[in-house]
Amino acid sequence: MNDILAVRTSESPQRAASPGEANETLLSVRDATIQFPAPKGRKGAVVTAVKNVSIDIRRAEKFVILGPSGCGKSTLLTAMGGFIPLSGGAIELEGRPVRKPSMQTVMVFQDFFQLLPWKTVRANVEFALRQRWPRMPRGERRERAEHFVDLVGLSPQLNQYPHTLSGGQKQRCAIARAFSVSPEVLLMDEPFGALDAINRERMQGELNRIWEEGRPTIVFVTHDVTEAVHLGHRIMVMTEGPGQIRRLLDNPHVGMLPYDTQGQESVAELREMLIPAG
Amino acid sequence: MATTETDARAAGLNPSAFSEIMPRLRKPIIVLGLVALWEAWVRLFDVPELLFPAFSDVLVALITGLGIGGEPILWAYTWQTLSVVLQAYVVSVVLAVVLTGFAINSAWGKELLSTVTGIFQPLPSIALLPMAVLWFGFSKESLIFVVVMSMVWPLAASLTVGFATVPPTLLRLGRNYELSRLGAMWHILLPSALPAMIGGLRVGWGFGWRTIVAAELVFGATGNDSGIGWYINNSRVFLQITEGFAGILVVVIIGFITESLFRVIQRFTTHRWGMEAA
Repeated sequence: MNDILAVRTSESPQRAASPGEANETLLSVRDATIQFPAPKGRKGAVVTAVKNVSIDIRRAEKFVILGPSGCGKSTLLTAMGGFIPLSGGAIELEGRPVRKPSMQTVMVFQDFFQLLPWKTVRANVEFALRQRWPRMPRGERRERAEHFVDLVGLSPQLNQYPHTLSGGQKQRCAIARAFSVSPEVLLMDEPFGALDAINRERMQGELNRIWEEGRPTIVFVTHDVTEAVHLGHRIMVMTEGPGQIRRLLDNPHVGMLPYDTQGQESVAELREMLIPAG
Repeated sequence: MATTETDARAAGLNPSAFSEIMPRLRKPIIVLGLVALWEAWVRLFDVPELLFPAFSDVLVALITGLGIGGEPILWAYTWQTLSVVLQAYVVSVVLAVVLTGFAINSAWGKELLSTVTGIFQPLPSIALLPMAVLWFGFSKESLIFVVVMSMVWPLAASLTVGFATVPPTLLRLGRNYELSRLGAMWHILLPSALPAMIGGLRVGWGFGWRTIVAAELVFGATGNDSGIGWYINNSRVFLQITEGFAGILVVVIIGFITESLFRVIQRFTTHRWGMEAA
């Protein structure tokens, strides 16, 4: 019981340090290649979605994978979560190969259908907690669910069903659920992609705030350059066809406010990189 | 809208109360109108009682049959019919879930189920009654057999649709939170398929209810007990036409009650969860 509470309240010494300095690799991707059978064409023909990608995700950092639509960034993230197999290479979480999905790597999806429509906001979070810690006492589960719902600012909607929530509120609920089970890595697949511009900016700020709370490790996929600069301690730029690393850079402007002009240079530079060569 | 409120005010009614009550009154008013038309037609044109009794006489026969001022015979017949349908219903639901469960787990099972459903769904199962009599004799089993055959295929078809339309993100969510096969069935598949399932149960019940009454008409008594269909046919044989009409009324009322029951179930589940428009 104390362990579980500790997850929420205390920060381990490594987590307290700035993520750039700790440098401890949590999730490593080695020469990952992902191929699919070609939709039509000769037998055995394949499409290479991701080619020879190697990255080390450090503990307690927000790592952004930035790339144009269809560059394989979501595919790579899905593989990190163990949802699809690699065609080559390896993905390891703390030295152990990732073979199938687990609650160590929890995914937040882009689409609004990720909430269970027949469960309220609270029950959606409690569902996850019950899976994660089946023996957690009821009262504690309730309390923990309420804490995380409160963290994402959804307390007024605690007992509402998902269909009564706005798009932004649904994503907040999904984030609360994912954070509540304290996964080693949070995998976020364009979670704000379906939101309007104003809500998206607000959610980016919120995510930075929530991250400060427990400093979880986050891998965040986006095609939005400004979002990448707002969120990522490090940004990996991917090129399309097949998905490869173009650049990996440290981002000094992480947490930058929307109206801050300092980060604009980085934004422009990144945008340049996303323009396909030739 | 505005005109309705003006009319209501002119009639001296509180407009909000009027517009609230009126839609609910529409159906009872229509039913009363139809009944009045029936009564008036029979009385005015002096229709012979042996061809078409007046509503008031039928109502008296119904009340008498239910035990107010007479032998409560209708209950037993009705219960006999209901119990056959209910037993067949349970068998059908279990069969449909098992069949569909197999079908979603294998390509052969899927093809098999869709083929068999395709064969039996267009066949009015009452056509199987002579064969059922051959196999099971003049027994309750024969009736249950034909009723099951009328219910199980529409049920299986709607369950298949329900399972096929589960949002893929929810399936991924289930894998992410490490649900077992049964867990995924219980927490994700069945609730997701609920709108289709209720639709199937509704259609299945309708088919079954029609089939049993038809079967009893053809079939007569099963052993010692006989149902409402037999009662209706028997009334004709003994020229108790008014009693026969009372029997028909019972069939209609039961259909109406079950229909309302399904609507109540929907109100507390799929409508409430926004999975189906109210």
